[in-house]
This record gives sequence, structure tokens and C-alpha cells, in this order.
Amino acid sequence: MTKNRRSLFYRLVVRVALVLSVGAAVLITAAWFYAKAAADEAYDRLLQGAAIQILDGLSVEDGRIGINLPPAAFELLGQAPRDRIFYRVVSPDGLTLTGYDDLAVSADLTPARSGPVFLSEDYRNVPLRIGIVGRAISEAATGGWAYVLVGQTTEARKEFVTELTTRALVIVLIMSAVALAGTALAIRYSLRPVNQLGDMLLRRDPQDLTPLSVAVPGELSPFVDSINHFMRRLDERVRLLQRFIADSAHQIRTPLTALSAQVSLIHEDALSDSDRRHLERVKDRAGELAHFTGQLLNHAMVIHRFDSAQLGPLDVTEIARKAFRAAVPITIDPDTVVSFEGPDETLIVLGDGLSLREAIVNIIDNSLRHGTRFKLDVRVLRRGNFALVEVEDDGPGIPPADWSQVTKRFVSSKSGSGSSGLGFAIASEVAIALRGGLSFREKTPEKGFTIVLELPLHAEMTS
Amino acid sequence: MRILLVEDTHDVGEAISRRFETTGHTVDWETDGRAASEILDFTDYDLVILDVMLPGLDGFEILKRLRQNRNAVPVMVLTARSEIDDRVSALDLGADDYLVKPFDFRELEARARVLLRRRSGGEATNVIACGDVMLDRTNRSVHVGKREVQLKRREMTLLEILASRPGRVFSKDQLLDQIFGFDEPAGPNAIELYVGRLRKKLEGARARIVTVRGLGYQLVSDDEE
Repeated sequence: MTKNRRSLFYRLVVRVALVLSVGAAVLITAAWFYAKAAADEAYDRLLQGAAIQILDGLSVEDGRIGINLPPAAFELLGQAPRDRIFYRVVSPDGLTLTGYDDLAVSADLTPARSGPVFLSEDYRNVPLRIGIVGRAISEAATGGWAYVLVGQTTEARKEFVTELTTRALVIVLIMSAVALAGTALAIRYSLRPVNQLGDMLLRRDPQDLTPLSVAVPGELSPFVDSINHFMRRLDERVRLLQRFIADSAHQIRTPLTALSAQVSLIHEDALSDSDRRHLERVKDRAGELAHFTGQLLNHAMVIHRFDSAQLGPLDVTEIARKAFRAAVPITIDPDTVVSFEGPDETLIVLGDGLSLREAIVNIIDNSLRHGTRFKLDVRVLRRGNFALVEVEDDGPGIPPADWSQVTKRFVSSKSGSGSSGLGFAIASEVAIALRGGLSFREKTPEKGFTIVLELPLHAEMTS
Repeated sequence: MRILLVEDTHDVGEAISRRFETTGHTVDWETDGRAASEILDFTDYDLVILDVMLPGLDGFEILKRLRQNRNAVPVMVLTARSEIDDRVSALDLGADDYLVKPFDFRELEARARVLLRRRSGGEATNVIACGDVMLDRTNRSVHVGKREVQLKRREMTLLEILASRPGRVFSKDQLLDQIFGFDEPAGPNAIELYVGRLRKKLEGARARIVTVRGLGYQLVSDDEE
């Protein structure tokens, strides 16, 4: 299993969300700037209007500057009810004529000569926006510039900025959410071919090693190509392995046959007792080797077949009967009663005929070699949704403690007896591959030791 | 009997032909597939023992040609099993039996004897039934109820004789003559041995072999009592 990295969907969504957040931040900052500029412009104009109205109220009479504060000057500013207003009128000689004489005392007033000037300043610990306008007084005695400063606290304009920014924020957030949701949907939709490809690979018959022929988006085609490349290699491997098993079977079996053929030609009568004993040993060992080689190759074949052979419906009774005929040698002791019993109905299981036959042959062979004394019964029967192949013999049986061991490879219940112990392993592996199992039933006074191969019936039969 | 052996492995061919020759058969041994196929075109044999992997023409091809020419000679195929896996089963191609290498030479001889006997015995096609014992002479199989029981050749012959006339008593001498022939030495004890074996193998059947003291044996079906 490969380690699962974060899903493509997750990665894409996170990245899009990041981009959207940055965008939203920029937009909101911009909105704030615009809102501030707009607020400044609107409120500064009010300040300017008030200041100009006060300025208009300046009059020069008898060389003295008189001031007449027009009430209308503060009317407009009064629209911001919570803000306070401060003003100061400065005469040409720099003296405060009226108003708060500590208002923006340090400010340089001269720029106001060319037009209204605005500045922000803290006044009595409150942020204040001050508008300054100036007017030239042309009376000789008092000639020079008079200025009017009007200050206003900034609460209203702050509120205005906040309101505008909040609105923009809401809009940006809604847009971002919509964009993110849309992107997520789009990604989900775009990634569907990936899931479909995965599903298709999963659903594929494990034996099917032909290249995938499925229409995929261009981005996925390298992936599909490499899968196909991989499958081609696998297919080649499987074929090679098949060839190898077939070749080695032939290459090993031929000299083994030749060996036992030659041994069988030796005239035992002409041999001394000890030589005859050695010859018996050679015969036994050659037989053992032949048997073991056969099992080994069959084991390789059986395991291999489940990777490559197509499973199909099989008549268990038919397979078991063939296995029975193949497994019981014609040279068997004539006193041994061997019998085969089939069911009344046809039992169909899904499997590979050759492997199944091999499994049953191995069970029967094992029973004949190690169990059977005078009686061997092979039965095929149905129990519920399972087909059972039972091999019963009158031998001592295998003690329950060893049951789990004997189905493992190269484990024999009788060590050193020459049995390779692959027989049950083959049968068990075949049974498991066909979703069944191999089990044992203990000897009772009525019944002998029984080996049971259990296979699930084909779906059509169980319904 | 005349046997054609087609086997390219020298050691194996030598052993097989020597073994059959010692039991009194004539063996022609061929190592080349094509030559063997040609010999089969104009020579009659009682049995062909055929290896699969052969130079010239492989065993399956020879078998196919043989059956295409409607030659019914019994054929025993010798094979390393994987050849059977990869291709059509030898039996489907018309082989009468096959053995997987390496095989037990006694097994080979026993099976060859079965094939030779079938050849000489002619084609009996009927089924004999007694109680729930069914004897199918075509494929030499015996069923007790649903159970198929394997019988040896002589047990089969014995059952055949007894079941052909259920209820009739056969004397030991009659049975001896039919089972062993004149040239095979066997005492009356041999009949007792075979009857004993047959009884054991028919255990649980609704028919049994009854000893009629002083006269012989009869097969009695439980159904008729």
C-alpha cells in the first residue's frame, strides 16, 4: 500500500482558497482606501464650506477687523451630531481673533494662501481634521492675510469609512465563497475521470492483462500509458513464468523418468543382499524425488494459475471423479476398498478445473500414502450453499493439534517419512483461492478420519 | 501382442521396451515422431505408447492423425503434466489413457494390460444390475447405489459371472475356469480370496454373495426376498 498523500482535491482547494484570500485582502484594503478618500473628500468639503462662510463674515471697519459668525456655517457640520467642532480665526498680524486659540497653533498657515489646506492633528487628545482657508485683507492698516481654521473630530467620517469598507468586505467575502465553492465543484467534476479510471482498474478481471482501452482526458493519458506499459511487462512476466514452469517440468521429469527406468532394469536377483538394500533405497528415493518434484511443479502451477487462469463454472462431481481416477493407482493393494459417491444434483462451483482437480488428487494421494489401511471413501455432497468433497479413510488420522500445521508448506505430520507435505498446502491454497476451505474431521467409532474440502456454490445455484 | 513405443528419451524407451518384452510382447521402438506416424499408417498394433515431446512430430499430432484415419488402436500417452495443461487434454484428442512422468513402471504395465485386454475382449456395451449393484461393462465400472466402487480385473470378472445370472449357484471349478483360464495356475483358495474381497467391496449393497455349502456361490439381491 502506498502512503496516502493529501488528495488532489484537497491540495487544489487549499491553493485556490489561498489565492482567493490574498485577492480578498487586496480588494478589502483597496476598498478601505477608497472609502477613506471618499470620506475625506466629502467631509473636508464641509469643513472648507464652513471655513469659507466664516471667512466671508470677516469685515474691516475703521482699520479693525470685525467678525460676524454666521450660524449657517456650522449647520452643515452639525450633520455629524456626535462630532465636536473647533474653530479659530487668525488676524493678519497672527493673533487669534476668536475661537480656540490653542487650535493648531504650530501649523504653518501660509500654504492656505493659494487654496484651502487640510491637516490631521490631535487636539486635546482627540484626532481632529482641520481645514484652513485664508483671505487677503487689503486695508492699509491691517493689510495681510487672515485665516480661518475649522476643526472637526473624525467619528462620523470613521463611521462612514467603516460602513463603506464593511459593505465592500461583505461583497468580497460572498464573491470569494462563491468562487471557492464553484472551484471545488469544478475540481470534483474535473477529477471524475481519475476516479473512474481507478474504479475501472479495480473492477477489472485480475486475469485480464490487456491494455486499458478507455477515453481519458489528455492529462491522464501518460498515466494510462504507463499503466499499460506496466501491464505489458507483467503479461510478459506471466508468460515467461508459465513457460518456465512448463519447461522445467519437462526438463526435470524426463531425467527422473529415465533414472527410475534405468533403476527398474537392474536385475535384483543377481545382486547381493546389501546391494539389493541399496537398490531399494535408490528406488525409494527416486520415487520420493519424483513425487516431490511433481508436487512442487503442481504447486507452482496451481499458485500461478490463479493469477492467470479464468475462473469458470465447474461440475464438482465431475472434477472429483476425474481426480479420484487419477489419484488411485491401478497397482493399489487389491484388499483396499476404494469408492466414490456423488450427489443426486449437479453441484456447480466457480473455479479452475485443473487446480481443483490437483487439490483433490493431492488429498486422495495423501490419504492413500499416509492414512488408508483398507478403506478409502471419496464423497461429493451439498451442505447449504457449499459443495463438500470428503475424503474418508480408516487410518489413524491426524491429531487435531497438527491440523493447522499440515496445511502449511513443507510441514509433514511424520517427519523423515519422506512425505514432502505439499499436498495439503496445495489443496488448502486452492480452496482458499476459491473462497472455500480445507478442514478435518476427527475419527469416530462409526466414521474414519475425514478431510473436507469446502467450496462455495456458484451464485446461480444458491439463489 | 504388438506394441509401438514412441519415446525419444533413450533410457526410458529402453526400460519400457525391455519390460514389455520380458512379459512376452513384441515392441517396436521409434524415437522420431514423423517416422512413427508413417509406420502407423500401414502397420497394425495392439497398443501405442506415445510420448508427447518428440522430434519431428509431437505426440498430440500423431494422435490426431491416427484418429482422423479412424484407427482405433488403444493409445497411452506419456507426458510431463504441463503439456496437458497448455494444450487440449490428451483424452479429448482420443487417447485412451495417460500417465504423467515420472511414473511407476508397475503402473504403466498395469494400465497397458487394461488397454490390451479391452482390445481383445471386444466391446461389451450392456449394464448388468442386481439389487442396487450396477456393473457397466463398457467402462468397467461398478456402482453400489450411488457409490462407485473400484474393482480389480478379476473381482470384476467374478462379479460379472455371478451377476449375469443372479440366484444361480456357480461352483468353485466353474469360477476358476472362467476367471483364470487354463494356463494360469490357481487353487480353489484363490476363489475364496476373490469372493472375500468382493464381499468387502460390496458391503452395504442390497445384494450379497451367498456361500452355498458344498456347491459354490451365488449372488442374491435383497429386493427379491
